[in-house]
Amino acid sequence: MTDKLVELEIEQRGEIVVARVSGELDLAGAPGTGDLIAEAVPTSARGLVVDMSRLEFIDSSGIAMLFGLARRLASRRQELRVVAPGGRAVKRVLDIVEFSRAAPVYEGLEPALAEIA
Amino acid sequence: MRELPELFDLGVKARSLAYLFLAGAGLGLLTLVFPHSDRIQDRELVILGLVAIAISALIYALAERMRNVDLHAFVAAGTVIVSLANYFVEATLLYPLLYTWSALYAFYFFRLRTALAHVAFLALCYVIVLALVDPMSPVVRWLLAVGTPLVAGLLISRLLGRLRAEGLSSDERALELQRSEARTRLVLDSAPDAFVAIDADGLVTTWNAASERMFGWSAAEAVGKPLRNLIFTPDERESFDERRQALLAAPETVKVLRMESDLQRRDGSVFPAERTISRVRIGDEVVMTAFLRDIADRRRAEQEREQLVREQVARTEAERTAEMVSGLQLLVDAALAHRTLDDLLADLVVRVRGVLDADAATIFTAENGASLRIGASSGGDPNAEDPGPIPFGKYFAGRVALSEQPMLARNPDPADLADPALRGLELNSLIGVPLKAKDEVGGVLVVGARAPRHLGTEDLMLLRLAADRVGLAISHARVYEREHKIAETLQRSLLPDRLPSLPGLEVAARYLPAATEAEVGGDWYDVIPLMGGGVGLVMGDVAGKGLAAASMVGRLRSALRAYALENHDPATVVEQLNRLLWTEGQDSQMATLLYAMVDPAESAVRWVNAGHPAPLLLDGDDDVRFLEGGSSVPLGVLPFPAYREISARLAPGATLLLYTDGLVERAGEVIDRGMERLAAAMREAPLNAEPLLDHLVDALVPVGRTPDDVALLALRSLPVADRFQIEFPTAPESLASVRSLLRRWLGHALSDQRVIAEITTACGEAATNAIEHAGAGGPFELAGRLNGREVEITVRDRGVWRAERQGDQGRGLALMRALMDNVDVSQTADGTMVRLRRALDG
Repeated sequence: MTDKLVELEIEQRGEIVVARVSGELDLAGAPGTGDLIAEAVPTSARGLVVDMSRLEFIDSSGIAMLFGLARRLASRRQELRVVAPGGRAVKRVLDIVEFSRAAPVYEGLEPALAEIA
Repeated sequence: MRELPELFDLGVKARSLAYLFLAGAGLGLLTLVFPHSDRIQDRELVILGLVAIAISALIYALAERMRNVDLHAFVAAGTVIVSLANYFVEATLLYPLLYTWSALYAFYFFRLRTALAHVAFLALCYVIVLALVDPMSPVVRWLLAVGTPLVAGLLISRLLGRLRAEGLSSDERALELQRSEARTRLVLDSAPDAFVAIDADGLVTTWNAASERMFGWSAAEAVGKPLRNLIFTPDERESFDERRQALLAAPETVKVLRMESDLQRRDGSVFPAERTISRVRIGDEVVMTAFLRDIADRRRAEQEREQLVREQVARTEAERTAEMVSGLQLLVDAALAHRTLDDLLADLVVRVRGVLDADAATIFTAENGASLRIGASSGGDPNAEDPGPIPFGKYFAGRVALSEQPMLARNPDPADLADPALRGLELNSLIGVPLKAKDEVGGVLVVGARAPRHLGTEDLMLLRLAADRVGLAISHARVYEREHKIAETLQRSLLPDRLPSLPGLEVAARYLPAATEAEVGGDWYDVIPLMGGGVGLVMGDVAGKGLAAASMVGRLRSALRAYALENHDPATVVEQLNRLLWTEGQDSQMATLLYAMVDPAESAVRWVNAGHPAPLLLDGDDDVRFLEGGSSVPLGVLPFPAYREISARLAPGATLLLYTDGLVERAGEVIDRGMERLAAAMREAPLNAEPLLDHLVDALVPVGRTPDDVALLALRSLPVADRFQIEFPTAPESLASVRSLLRRWLGHALSDQRVIAEITTACGEAATNAIEHAGAGGPFELAGRLNGREVEITVRDRGVWRAERQGDQGRGLALMRALMDNVDVSQTADGTMVRLRRALDG
């Protein structure tokens, strides 16, 4: 079955890169997705927002991808923000692994953008 | 002569008679009041008067119960009373005038003959009276007394006769009119077309039953309403108004026009309609009527016809190609019909000439990859000498062999022709193609044409196709004894070497080649995983044997895979294949095919059957039945056959069996016996797909005596039960299947989507670990168990579990622990097992 499980859209908003991830993020898709996102962030950018409002599933591979992004951005003094609305499976997993210790998690895209600007 | 209708009913007649008696009595008594002759006997007259009044009262009282005969009796009684009165006045006075009363009554109310009888009676009575009294000039008295009422009566009778006739005709006219209206209404109401009439103001006056059906407005609702708002779309209303005004203004008495446009139903739906509109002017009144007909079906038929024409044009195009291709196929058949290479080449060279419509052809065979030798020649001088070996690079043919490329030559120099037989032909064009066997040049094929025929690039293409087949044919002939093996290998290669693993489904297949035949048959099967978790199952049988059948299997297989992967529905897939076989197959080449789409999520199977034996369904509880529905003609028989899709429930735990006729057919036996045997064997078979097929083969295929090829394909929908156990390949791509399976399984027991998501996430972590660490250690196993109010899922792999450490792997375990009540990791000699448990609170 060749369904595309994960879909990625990248958008440049001024000095901030917004990466929208939708679908299901597991071992099959997470490493590649993480690389694609990292490559899309130029050194000149001030920060990255990973918008996961439309992501339906995430597992530890997806979490590892987020932690990896946090590490890479921190080394370049760039900020990472994650959007994951409450009450959904993705937010629950982020909470369990206490991801907010690595980067702030927001309910919506606009507050996350406002925070970097 | 027709019976005229009665003008009066009996009640009216009776009451009139009663009044007559009363009036007669009154008049008689009144004569006694005035001075009169003393010959009149007052007492008797008074008695007669009272009797008459009494009779009057009696008649009046019985008026409604009177019969005709009673009336006659009373009239006769009146005549007798008048006669007595005349007797008592001695017939001298004017009392005979009273006879006129009963006579006129009779003429007025009775038929002419009866009335005349009454007159005869009174004439007789008066004769008696005259005889008794014996007055002066009795004959004159009698003539006047009887003649007067007779003449008056006859006149009245005639007058009434005319009145009756008149009444009849006006009654009939009214009745006829009524009938005609009813007939018209009936005709209108039973008409298949809607009929609508409107008046000059555009208001509906007639609305028949078909109109009610067509538009959804009842006649009661429609009549009196403006038509424009009832049947026209808002866009059409203005143009309707304009048309109506124009029609009203048109000078002709009758005007009829027909048009087609969309009309609107009450529910707002729109349909194409044909309208026949008539405008009739009757005096000052203008009536517009319209017959309306729904032409959606006709439109559809027209479109289908157009489509058919388009398809036929396309088909003609395809047929032309098919004709050439079938010519090429002859080359392959030749390979199968000859034992020696020389025979084959002699046959092939003639056929190649035929396919290309060329004047001459030569086949050269290569020797040791360095020189050519003439294998066969056609169209030239049959007595030409064989020139012996021709080195690569020399002559036209040699250059083709050396370059390994097809070549086209215009007006070739005869001296450049390697085959001396062709040198005298004055060829104006020449094509040469290498015959490739594996990767080396096995020979060269050269064809030539004389004017006016000119070989061009199209011929070159065709010759290359021919060369492929000739090359194949030659190599086949060279290894004739290996032909069976090659064809079998070809067919084997067309069967899936490994069936896909499908979550929730178990698939197994068998292919048993015929033991006695030298050539393989055209049985084939396929299993195609589809988008969204479904699977396509194919079982087919191409008529014929050998390479022709095998190559058609190859084409059908790749075409079917292409159509199936585009997620076309079964009927479309089979129709496309039919088109392929119809346009490209040889004459009368046909194939049976069963294509089924299984959707485990919906527990359903839908299939199309093109002349293939019906699949067998084993439902959990020993219920075995053939899915007989929807069987249609085999592929390649009709240009546009109707393939119908049928569906059935494929419950979890049920097994679907597809097979070819070799399984159920035996010489000298009706096929029904074989089907019965199959159903019986199926009932006794084990449930799992692999052992099930072993059982069927053991039970139904005689050892070593397989008369025909047999293919079998079984699919079992794994039961969504309290427990399951499935193996997955250790690849990241398995994770999506694991999740989809778990969601489906948990969905049967749980309703809380959040809980399902959490358990799925935890199991996904366990599966991720198995995939990352089991390495090449083979598949991992996922098992689930619903145990009372608890769900338990185990993931077993054959790898070594990494000790828990900080970082990504540690996070996976943390997730499992957070999402489940109990996580248990145990290490065994075979590998690792993770057991996850969670209580299900109600």
